[in-house]
Parts: sequence; C-alpha cells; structure tokens
Amino acid sequence: MKILLVEDDRRASEYLTKGLRELGHVVDQAFDGDTGLNAAMTGSYDVLLLDRMLPKLDGLEIVKRMRGVGNDVPILILSALDEVDERVQGLRAGGDDYLAKPYHLEELTARLDALARRKGASGLADKLKIADLEVDARARRVTRAGRKIDLTTREFQLLEFLMRHAGQIVTRTMILEGVWDYHFDPKTNVIDVHISRLRQAIDKDFTVQLLHTVRGAGYTLTDDP
Amino acid sequence: MQLVRFLRSSIARVTVLHGLVLAASMIAVLAGVYLATARLIATEGDQLLSIEAQSLAEFFHDHDVDAFIGEVAERAEDPWTRGGVYELRNANGDFLAGNVVILPELKPSNSGFTEFEVAVARADTEASRSIRARIQDLGQGYRLLVGHDVQDRQAFRTVMLRSVIWAILVTLLFGAAGGWWLGHRISSTAQAINASAARIAAGNLTERLPLNGSGDEIDTLVARFNDLLARVDTLTTTLRAVLDSTAHDLRGHLNRIRGAAQEASLKATTPEEQQSIQTVLGEIDRLSDTLQGLLRIALAESGTAPLDDVDFSQIAQDLVEFYQPVADEPLVSEITPGLIVRGHRQLLAQSISNLLDNALKYAPHTPVGLRLTREGSIAVLDITDRGPGIPAEQRAYATMRFRRLPGSSGLPGSGLGLSLVAAVARLHQAELKLLDASPGLRVRLSIPLANT
Repeated sequence: MKILLVEDDRRASEYLTKGLRELGHVVDQAFDGDTGLNAAMTGSYDVLLLDRMLPKLDGLEIVKRMRGVGNDVPILILSALDEVDERVQGLRAGGDDYLAKPYHLEELTARLDALARRKGASGLADKLKIADLEVDARARRVTRAGRKIDLTTREFQLLEFLMRHAGQIVTRTMILEGVWDYHFDPKTNVIDVHISRLRQAIDKDFTVQLLHTVRGAGYTLTDDP
Repeated sequence: MQLVRFLRSSIARVTVLHGLVLAASMIAVLAGVYLATARLIATEGDQLLSIEAQSLAEFFHDHDVDAFIGEVAERAEDPWTRGGVYELRNANGDFLAGNVVILPELKPSNSGFTEFEVAVARADTEASRSIRARIQDLGQGYRLLVGHDVQDRQAFRTVMLRSVIWAILVTLLFGAAGGWWLGHRISSTAQAINASAARIAAGNLTERLPLNGSGDEIDTLVARFNDLLARVDTLTTTLRAVLDSTAHDLRGHLNRIRGAAQEASLKATTPEEQQSIQTVLGEIDRLSDTLQGLLRIALAESGTAPLDDVDFSQIAQDLVEFYQPVADEPLVSEITPGLIVRGHRQLLAQSISNLLDNALKYAPHTPVGLRLTREGSIAVLDITDRGPGIPAEQRAYATMRFRRLPGSSGLPGSGLGLSLVAAVARLHQAELKLLDASPGLRVRLSIPLANT
C-alpha cells in the first residue's frame, strides 16, 4: 500500500521506512508539518502515519485540517506522548488510531493494515461470513456449517472483532483495546487464553481451522492461512 | 455522631466559652453590687439602732426610772407598725417594760449587736420575724434591748439573689447566641477554606482559597497561603513539563534503538546473532514498560488526570470476567451493582487488573475472591487470596516503587504494580489497605461514591 510518513525524527523515520519497504509498501517521507500537510493533500495515499509533535505544524493540527476539508484518508497517529488522555485527544481530532513509541513494527503494520482495509470493507455490515462461519452482529447469532454456536457476550464481541478484521493480523494490544477497551498491559497471557476458548467453541469440531496464531504478532481469522 | 462532630467543632467551643466567660463576668459584677449594697444597708440599719439606743440612754440619765419605763413602754406599743422591739430589765433581771422576752437567753455581759427570730401572731397566722438588736448597758445594772425588724433586708437579699440568677441565665443565653454567631462566622470561613484546600490537595493546583475581602488576620493568612500555592503550582508545572519532555525524549531514543535493532534483525545471518538481537529487543521492551509504569504513576500522582462518573461495579465485573479463564480456581465475586464513583476508568481498571494479577500470581492454586460492596457513601473493594500473604512489618513497604517481596524474584513483575494502585487510590481520595485474611492477603480499596 502507499503510505505517507510524517516524522521529524529522521533516524526513526529511516528505520521505519526501511522496515515498511521491506514488507512491500511504498513509503513517502515528510519531515515537518507543512510539507506533510501539502503531501497529504496532493498525493493519494492509502494511509497516513503522523507523528504527534512536529515542527511548523502540529500532528493534531494536520489531522484537523485534513478532516476539515473532507479528506477521510485513514490516519494513524504515532506519539511519544503516551497517556490514555493524549490518545483520546488524538482520536477526537479525527485520527483513526493511535500508537505509542516505542512501537513494534508488527504492531504498527497490523494496525496500518486494519486501517487501510477498513475503507470500503464490510465495516459496519451486520452479517459477517468467513468460510462456513456466519455471524449476525445485530441478532448476536453465530453458526458454523448451519450449526448454532453459543458464546458469552465477551466471546461474541471477540469473534465479531476478529471477523471484522478477517484475513488480517490482529495483535493482542488491538484486541485489548478493541474488545475490552483496556489501554494497559495486563502482563499475563489472558488474551491467549480467551482466544483458545473461542477456538474451542468455533474450530474444535471442524477440520478446517479458522482462528490461527501468527507467531510474534498476534492472531488471524482466515480460511486461507 | 453528629453531636460528637458538633461538640468537636469550633462553633461549639466558641459558643460554650463565650457563654461561660460572659456569665462569669456577670456573676462577678452582680456579686460586687450585692455585697456593697448589703453592707451599706446593714451599716445604715446599725447606725439607726445605735442612735436610738443612744438617745434612750440619754433619756435614762435625764429622767427617773418610772418616766423611762413609760417611755420604753410607749415605744414598744404596736411594734409591727413602727417596726421596733424593746426590752428593759433591771439589775436583778426583772422585766420592766418592752414587747419581747429575749434578754435572759442572752448572756448578761452580752452587749453590742445581736440577731434573733421572734414569733409574731398576726391575724390568724403566726409568722417568724428576723430582728437585729443592740443591747445597751444603761448603768446601775439596767439593760436595754433596742431592735429593728430586718425582714426587709432579707427580702432584699432574696430579690437580689433572684435577679442574679435571672441575669446569669440571660447572660448565658446571650453569650451562647453571640458565641454561636461568632463561631459560625469563623467556622464558615474555615469550611470554605477547607473545601478549597481539599480540592487543591486532590490535585487542582490552579484553585485558590477564597478571600473574604476584609483584610483581617484570616484574610492575610489566606493570601499568604495562596502565594504559597502559586509557588507550588509553578514548581509542579515546571516539574511536570520536565517530566513530559524527558519522557518524550526517552521514548524517542527507545524508538530509534528499537528501530535499529529491528533493522539489524532483518540482516542477521546466524542464529546466534538473531538470539542476541532478540535479547536486546526484549530488554528495550522491559525498559519501555518500566518507563510506562512510572509515567502512569506520575500521571495518577499529579492529580491532573481527568475524572468522570464511572460505573465501578461494571469495571470490577468486567475484570473478573477478563481474568476468570486464567484463574486456577474459579474467581469468586460478589459485586453490588451500580456503584458510581468519580474516577478515571483506565486507571481504575488497571489498578484492579494489577491486584487480580498479583493475587493470581502470588497465590496460585488458591481461590481468589473479589467483593465490592457499599458502606454508606463509600464503595469498598476487597480482593482476597489464600496465599502466603504479606507479613505485617512488610506491608508498609509493599506499595513502594520497585519494591518486590522476598520470594517473588522468580515471578514476572516490575515492582510497580502496587505503587500504581496506591497512586490511583490517592487520585481518587480513596484508602488503600493491606489486611491479613488469615491465611492470605486482603487488599481493600475504599473509594468515595460520586454525589448523585
């Protein structure tokens, strides 16, 4: 995908650009707010990576101006300011996601992927389907091969989250934030245990496994591993 | 409860003190007036007695005995209209004239003033009258008693006493009322200051104590205090700015180090190289976790974290369900629903998460319980395990940063978990207690409920 990275820390920008290019993305770099805003307005990008604090024009200000002219390109805000309340500010200004430094490249790419694909995808559809697994978000009904599967409320939310990111990698942090709205690290392997419970419920009796673990990154729900 | 609180208040003390001081001074003044007046009246009465006795003595010298007896008898007639009592006796003690019989009861040598009671028949009733008398030796053994009714004096004393009692009661009343008013003024000023001070202590350093504009001593004191606050505010803001920029800077550095290490890992050719790079990456993550932990504590302690009305019961319930699958024994929870507190949802959730994580970590294979109940205006959260507990002498240190308990070195953890809970407790004006669940540890967090 085509990414614009606006980051004034040149070395950090270089590392990230190299990493992203290695993964096959096209990356343009800008090193201050003004150039960043110009590039974002004129170029056509799949996703914007914005540092929160930039010389000349603040990252939040760029988000506001872009949204002000109706530009809805997905924006991921990167920041060395990591407090839950900073995050709220970033999202309120119109950012789509917020990631604190130092970040894992896997975490960053998983989020970029989720953002880029969200556009035009089955974002808010009620009926979700992957292979023979069907989820009706409104009726809160899950079936696999026509067989009804009973889940707790939280298990259902977890499955719905994974379904909405079907085919993508979701990290533990994304699950924590997206399903539980927890913006802290519970340290223990709680998420793994929740995932394995869900796996029991949806995959146990079937030959085709849908919920997969991606080593060192997270999980993915797909029929095409 | 309320009475005890009232009695301990400054209003009560000022009221009582003011009343007592006023009453005491009133008693002193009235007692002085009473004594002076009583003495004046007594002296005047005695002078009158002396003058009459003197004039009778002169009469005795100038006339013969019979004429004198006549004179005394005449004066003694109808004593209760004229108010005088008389008794004249000769050297043998024979009664010669008068309207009372009292002299034999007094010692023969007795002269000067004396007081006694005389029964008086009046209409149908018999009354007792107080008499003060002077005994005069007339010479040749004749003794004369001249006395006055002093009932009036006693009546005066009674009236005086009654007025004193009334005056004291009235003074007490006025004194108490005045004291209450005075105390109320002081107390309402103190309460206003107290309320502001509580908000300031809770972290709102921009608030100032209210001045009443009178420029009195309290106002001056409050103004001084406000200057002090301004200074603390400046220092805190500066410190916060330093902390923020340092944190920002450190995160930037860590980010670059991580980027470099990650890049190196892509280029690594041997498993040994890959292994070392993974070690470096792991250490970077631990370092950034610790930094993150310290910053969260700083955020909670700065008191600048925004607070909202949050459903504490829901937060607790969610965390019980969150940890349920990783618990060796099922988590037992008893949660009173709908307990709303003024709080920071993420920090509260993280605190409960830390406590549950600790309980599951330090007391594995034992039942862990979470209980949330309401006690008056307080939400009381108890997290109890049946593990080894914390010895009483170590509980005070348990909430210190980087302090880890003996025997926990093999377990993961940064030593910041309980420190964060302690800081979050302070942010919420809550009380954090580590108690003995014998066996095991009970952590109790008591948070005031929101005013709804």
